[in-house]
Amino acid sequence: MDFTLNEDQLALASAIERIATEFATVPTDFHGFTLDGAALEQELESGQYFDIAAIPEMGPVAAATVVERLARLPCTTEVALSMLVRPQIDIELPRPFALVENGRPGRFVASAATVIVIYGESIGIAHPSPDEVEAVESLYAYPMGKLTGSPAIKPLSSSDAETVRTWLRIACAAEMAGLLQAAIDAAVEHLSVRKQFGRPLGTFQALRHRMAECAVLAGGVRLLALKAAWSGDSGEAALAALHAQDSATRVVYDVHQMMGAMGMTLEMPVHLWTYRAKALLAELGGKGAQAEGVAKHTFNAA
Amino acid sequence: MEFDWNQQQRDFRSTVRAFIAANLPDNWEAVAHGPGSSAQTTFSKTFCGALADAGLLVPHWPERWGGRDADPWSAFILAEEMWAAGEPRGGQYMNVNWIGPTFMRFGTEQQQERFIPPMARGETLWCQGFSEPESGSDLASLRTRAEKTESGYCVNGQKIWTSYAGHADTCFLLCRTAPGKGGISILLIPMDTKGITVRQIPSIIGEGDIHEVFFDDVEVPDTALLGEEGQAWEIVRTALSLERVGIPRFALASRMLHRAVGVLKKEGRFARSAIEQSAKAHAACEVARMYSYNIIDQRCHGQPPGPEASAARIATVNAERQVAEFVVEHLPDALAGGDAMLMAHHQRAIVAGIASGAAEIQLNLIATELLQLPREPR
Repeated sequence: MDFTLNEDQLALASAIERIATEFATVPTDFHGFTLDGAALEQELESGQYFDIAAIPEMGPVAAATVVERLARLPCTTEVALSMLVRPQIDIELPRPFALVENGRPGRFVASAATVIVIYGESIGIAHPSPDEVEAVESLYAYPMGKLTGSPAIKPLSSSDAETVRTWLRIACAAEMAGLLQAAIDAAVEHLSVRKQFGRPLGTFQALRHRMAECAVLAGGVRLLALKAAWSGDSGEAALAALHAQDSATRVVYDVHQMMGAMGMTLEMPVHLWTYRAKALLAELGGKGAQAEGVAKHTFNAA
Repeated sequence: MEFDWNQQQRDFRSTVRAFIAANLPDNWEAVAHGPGSSAQTTFSKTFCGALADAGLLVPHWPERWGGRDADPWSAFILAEEMWAAGEPRGGQYMNVNWIGPTFMRFGTEQQQERFIPPMARGETLWCQGFSEPESGSDLASLRTRAEKTESGYCVNGQKIWTSYAGHADTCFLLCRTAPGKGGISILLIPMDTKGITVRQIPSIIGEGDIHEVFFDDVEVPDTALLGEEGQAWEIVRTALSLERVGIPRFALASRMLHRAVGVLKKEGRFARSAIEQSAKAHAACEVARMYSYNIIDQRCHGQPPGPEASAARIATVNAERQVAEFVVEHLPDALAGGDAMLMAHHQRAIVAGIASGAAEIQLNLIATELLQLPREPR
């Protein structure tokens, strides 16, 4: 049991921190729903960061820390599936990756080179051409898209499907950990500077306690995500995704309450994290399906 | 990062489990109604003696005091296994965790020689005289006073909600020798000293756990003082930093959750809402476990205790609450005579957010120290 990073992981963390610093701010003239991270993607590609899980000294757990860190940025690009799921299927598969569940719109589908298609209990892989996908307007702060054509789907064996489902859950939890932390950080900043009744909002215990509880939840999501990324265990993956989706409901609501009317404006970009978290809430069947995964893998229920 | 145990740690856990299995009586689950009960306290003296003989009572203590300088993981693995088994060490877990180590650091040679060896042999029980009727979360406002006499101190006042006081041999007493936070001192007082009266308070959490302790003109010698006059706050802060993670309550919560799920599965009652709620409770237990392990890991790397310990405490409170709520909603029969251990667990789960300081104080610490929110006005 050791929570510290090894030398290679530390070097990776500081490299990622440098990149993250470059992309930490929202342009002052940006008032949109989604902040595109094309430049971030380019930098990650050129540094070959999408393949780090396959490096023995790094492993998926290091990739999960990167997913978590980059999810805290205001801009978004497809990172989690490429870094955590792709190495489990075939690291040569072209990215960006996306997930389509039972025909519904999904994140990054319009630009995906590889789509993981879930239909009922089955999972397959497709490589849609650009005219088989289209972008969809949405409330989620991710670029959303849907499959419009019928690309060939290569079905996965049931054991490969199980592996993919496990790593999709880990990717979801790692991403959520970063989103929740960033949303909390934004609320803390607001509570520290915004004054009412002559003192900062953050001095009122009713708000302090709620934020402290949110912080414990977000930290818990991160710990369970990292543990699952380290072990690759199906039960731990389901547990991490369950705790991520369960905690997000609470944290997203509380963070918006803390932000008050300012949080409703597009000038205060907290939605860049909270409305991304909302996009993850129903993925992979939502809390009910994750709980069934826990029951199956941990409680050995039929 | 490495989220698995090494061989030595696995072996140690097996050793502890084997010891527990071999040394708990057949009727243990009927006895284990809380660390403070008469039956459990009586049993704990035999059990801790045997633990000491096997080298498993104080492995993390220095050799000089009967230990073998084992790392903090050993103490925590030991604590997990003991608590999950219903804490057969009774109230003696406090000796092992922080009272002994505090004496090693702050005690005089005479105090060390007098108090530490009986702890290392598993023979003695302590109680902590902290809370008072008017001083709970605001501990620094305590009023029990110790007035200087020619040869020592004369103590007057009252403590309340004191665990183990009915069976304890000695009290680790916080009392006032001068005004203010810097005027609090620690006296080590045998419980059979003239002028001490103990009254058990009937409670919902089980027999023998909470008491009132009255001090009426209790005369103690100068040698009862631990450290300097007015040093109590510093000593207690240090002592409690040894105990920041506290009791690994998630270990019993998790075991009880698995037990309840086992019953529901066997009886065909593990349906949809039970599945979702049990999975969430399991997540809460594992979150508490990981937060706690993180603190132990920091300690192993020589890092000073930080605000994450408060987060670990809140996570533990969540775990206790969710398991208790799961059982009462989905296996209500267990609490009506169906399962002695589930009943005992349910009784004690409520303690998690209250004993050793209200959880709300920890939430404030998280807000100030972890989130760096501005402090509230006082």
